[in-house]
Amino acid sequence: MSETKTHGEKAFVLNTGRSLMQGISMEAESKWSEKYFNAVAIAEMNPSDIAKLGITDRARIYNENGSVVLRIRPNSNVPAGEIYIPMGPWANMLTDPVTDGTGMPRLKGTKVFVEQTNEPLTSLIDILKELGAKNLEIHMEDAPVKTGERRTVENVVCPFCGDLCDHLIIEIDGNMIVKNTGGCAISSAKFLNYHKHRVLKPYLRHQGKLIEVSLDEALDKAAEILANSKYPLIFGLASTDIEANRYAVELAELTHGVVDNTSVFCHGPTALAVQEAGAVRYTFGVAIHLADLVIFWGCNPLEAHPNHVARIVLREGRFIKGRKSRKIIVIDTRRTPTANLADLFIQVEPGRDYELITALRMAIKDLDIEAPSVAGVPKEKVLELAEMMKTAKYGVIFFGLGLTMTGAKYKNIVAAIKLVQELNEWTKFGLLPMRGHYNVAGSNQVSLWATGYPYAVDYARGFPRMIIGVTSATDLLANGDVDAALIIASDPVAHLPRKAAEHLSRIPVIVIDAKWSLTTAFADVIIPGAYVGIECEGSAYRMDEVPIRLKKLVDPPPGILCDSEVLRRLVEKVKLKKGVVYE
Amino acid sequence: MNEILIKNGFVYDPINGINGEVLDIAVRDGRIVDPSRVDPSRALVIDAKGKVVMPGGIDIHSHIAGPKVNIGRLMRPEDHYLTNKPHKLPHRRAETGLTVPNVFRIGYEYARMGYTLVVEPATPPIKTRHTHEELDDIPIIDKAAFVLVDSNWLALDLITEGSREFLAAYFAWLLSVTKTYSLKLVDPGSDVAWILTGRGIDIDDQIPSYNITPRDVVREMGNAAQLLNLPHKLHIHCNRLGYPGNYLTTLKTMDIAKDISRLSEAPALHITHVQFTGYKGDSWSTLESGGEDIAKALKINKYVTLDLGQVILGRSATTMTADAPFEYVLYHLTRWKWANADTEVESAAGIVPYSYKKRSYVNTIQWVIGLEIALLTRDPWRVVPTTDHPNAGLFKDYPILLSWLISRKAREELMKDVNQRALRKAILPSLDTEFSLYEIAIMTRAAPAKLLGLDKFKGHLGVGADADIAIYDIDPKELDLSRNYEKFVKAFKKAWLVIKNGEIVVRNGEIVKTIYGKTYYAEPSIPEELRKELDVFLRKKFKEYYSVSLDSFYIRDHELRNPVKIPIETKIKG
Repeated sequence: MSETKTHGEKAFVLNTGRSLMQGISMEAESKWSEKYFNAVAIAEMNPSDIAKLGITDRARIYNENGSVVLRIRPNSNVPAGEIYIPMGPWANMLTDPVTDGTGMPRLKGTKVFVEQTNEPLTSLIDILKELGAKNLEIHMEDAPVKTGERRTVENVVCPFCGDLCDHLIIEIDGNMIVKNTGGCAISSAKFLNYHKHRVLKPYLRHQGKLIEVSLDEALDKAAEILANSKYPLIFGLASTDIEANRYAVELAELTHGVVDNTSVFCHGPTALAVQEAGAVRYTFGVAIHLADLVIFWGCNPLEAHPNHVARIVLREGRFIKGRKSRKIIVIDTRRTPTANLADLFIQVEPGRDYELITALRMAIKDLDIEAPSVAGVPKEKVLELAEMMKTAKYGVIFFGLGLTMTGAKYKNIVAAIKLVQELNEWTKFGLLPMRGHYNVAGSNQVSLWATGYPYAVDYARGFPRMIIGVTSATDLLANGDVDAALIIASDPVAHLPRKAAEHLSRIPVIVIDAKWSLTTAFADVIIPGAYVGIECEGSAYRMDEVPIRLKKLVDPPPGILCDSEVLRRLVEKVKLKKGVVYE
Repeated sequence: MNEILIKNGFVYDPINGINGEVLDIAVRDGRIVDPSRVDPSRALVIDAKGKVVMPGGIDIHSHIAGPKVNIGRLMRPEDHYLTNKPHKLPHRRAETGLTVPNVFRIGYEYARMGYTLVVEPATPPIKTRHTHEELDDIPIIDKAAFVLVDSNWLALDLITEGSREFLAAYFAWLLSVTKTYSLKLVDPGSDVAWILTGRGIDIDDQIPSYNITPRDVVREMGNAAQLLNLPHKLHIHCNRLGYPGNYLTTLKTMDIAKDISRLSEAPALHITHVQFTGYKGDSWSTLESGGEDIAKALKINKYVTLDLGQVILGRSATTMTADAPFEYVLYHLTRWKWANADTEVESAAGIVPYSYKKRSYVNTIQWVIGLEIALLTRDPWRVVPTTDHPNAGLFKDYPILLSWLISRKAREELMKDVNQRALRKAILPSLDTEFSLYEIAIMTRAAPAKLLGLDKFKGHLGVGADADIAIYDIDPKELDLSRNYEKFVKAFKKAWLVIKNGEIVVRNGEIVKTIYGKTYYAEPSIPEELRKELDVFLRKKFKEYYSVSLDSFYIRDHELRNPVKIPIETKIKG
């Protein structure tokens, strides 16, 4: 696109993130659906920018990474000069694979150009073709369900986000899930449609086509790929249980490969910051009982963790009488739905959170701030915020990818941790990352106890190493370092910048998943997995590191095994192929 | 059928009164059997001539698993960089980490030293599933965990309003559903104070928002432990840990044993890592050893047992404890990294990297205290060696610690390098006590097995015991250990042969097989009438206090790799 870049147009700042409809559509209908397209293949801009560019309904958005044509929706909460695209393959065509040695691609704050166009909208197939996908036909099926005995299961745990709500009441008719009480809209979409759009058979790619095979054949082929690989990437793991994570680490060790989880592009920087500074954490209950100040920084729980606010902020605690006894502050680059709940909304300029944190650290120590505004926030507001923090009895900060992905990346989090450590000189204060996938926190935990490192762990030398920026998935893929990939319950094609996703078209790929992810379009072996929390029991870690056991509600579809069992068998087969067995 | 015959070794088995006699030990199906029951033509015969044969070692207090250990791993990447050992598959997985090793190294390192049972001494109930998941992944050794109770709102509510019987019933339930083995008190009541006010409290201070003191908590939980008839009663980390002058708080805590309504002659309180609460003096610069006072108090108080928390000089450490207020203080001394985790309803934890320096006045006094207590009491059945791994030292340095007990020369060698001003204030240089190998076997095998109440099948080599056996290549008849302590250290660092559950896991100090041990937990009986009342209480309190459902709190047997229930007949009345 370099030739079109030079017409002196003004660059826009691209932000990506979760939206409620993105979550609901992917859980209810799959990422191949019209509903997902409608929810995700869209860009939001400030009406004034739309008018200035003379955009009617669509625009071409492009930069040096790629180009897409998307529908444009006016949203006055998006500041002028910025553009918002929900996370997904369309946004990925534009995001920057460079991780600056942090393992974290630039998924937010990338520069893009926008122009009015009448060209057709970029379809999912267009994108997959451009990425070099191996399979464009998928065999989406619904698992057979039958009504029958009616039962109600209480205290069901939701396998969607890092809040791991464990108060759901699920009504089941035969093996159909008919009602979800207590879950959010995304949770309902997940449970009620669990049987839809499934991978029901193992597949191998043969002469350019996916053919149905037996589980044993698929496992054999997968084991062969892994055993023959010099440096495989084993990736995903945030949406499956602890047991599956254990086997994934063992596989990496067996094959001298890399095991990485999705925190590499969410809260990986948070882990790097803890390595450097420590942490000040709390569990939900502590916030419920004690937090008189709740700050949401760079996160939008109302759309990404829909029950979070109700469970923590609105609930009455032992020493705090619910919402009216708490002050809520939202700090974000745009006015999100969560911001509308806040007593105070602070709009920070994209990528400049570090400056604001630094100013707060100065303000709480009564050091002078000379600038009239910091990161777009007037000095008076900085001082007001610092005062609110210092005078809170127990303050808590929940922070999201707005802080981990932008600007100084993990240095933002180091600064935030230090801010909170310093606030503990005056009062009690804590900081907690809003974890996305329901067991991404658990993936980090298993990785830590097995390898000493939270993610991006390499076994090339037969012992664990974490060299961030080198052994992290985005870097390994974008640089073409790995020669095979095993993707477990995750969809890197939907999350990673195009340059990283493209490498999957060039190497053998094994996918273990319950549904047809976009990554299945790059797969040579597809093995179906059952859903933990619906069809399999297993444990997962909430964002505050409280481990919770997910329940099995119904049997998996015939012939389909839990991820952990698939991986256990795969480990056994790889051991045999590599001769790693006791005499 | 797996049969092993160990012939001609010098056997040290204090529970059976065997002190270095040459005996044959036979193993069949994972247990010790009479040698006549093993067929020598089929059995694997091991010639242990000129070697020491002991039951597998037992560590009663070592932080090896759970949320705070994993935060320790996360915040100390530098701990792994130069400590890697590539895997040797399928025999051994890859190892990494010094102060907070990965699960594999923990199991292997203990096994190499001949240790086969280790207790994780502090797990917050709500995160105990994590503790078990980590324990499950530690190879070779058997394990157990103590559950944190001292700052538990439900327990404090019951002390304030409820009956003794009801508190005991609640603990019985808690041990059973968290699959833990005994009750742990850490700086009693202080995590309530920490979470509410950001500071800790002393034994007679009021616990914020409760009208009781830590003294009340120790006494009432001690009474509940009596009703529960727990094999290991209360495991206590005293208030004011880490503060100069705290030995007085320790003496007061030991004294509470007298106020507990004892229902048996068994020890009522176990004071853990007593070194950290044995400080005399009123500031860091005037710090002195309170070891002598504690040793005296122990002699006249037969209901108390101790472990040392011995400092290992010249080593780095990663301090980690549920004593969150103390870690906050330590962070201000070190000014490097600090992690804190406030855990709802129950507890908190802090983690701070630290390093013990030989030239440091304070560190030398700390080193002196543990040794003074061990040597002055010379009561190996009641005073057991620990380093409170990885707080005062690393468990891998146990052989060094033990060498200081068996050899005055070993102590004197180190004393040349330590802070001399500190030494001048200590009585340690004048002590000439040297423990025998038999006493070492008591301290590291027999006594911890008895303290845990597992001595029926652990900590000895009698018929029926689990076949957990360590053989060390050292000839006690030929060698004067006191003069040749280095040889002792070498032999005990890398056992010649280790058998776990009847399988050979270590040969010549190297791991030859990766297997997984058991997890012991207590299941005290609860009278049926109390059970219903308890159920109502739990439902109400969970709704009021917890962010998880009561249902989520239960850890079921099938979640653990190899759980072993120890049923306990309690004295709780309905």
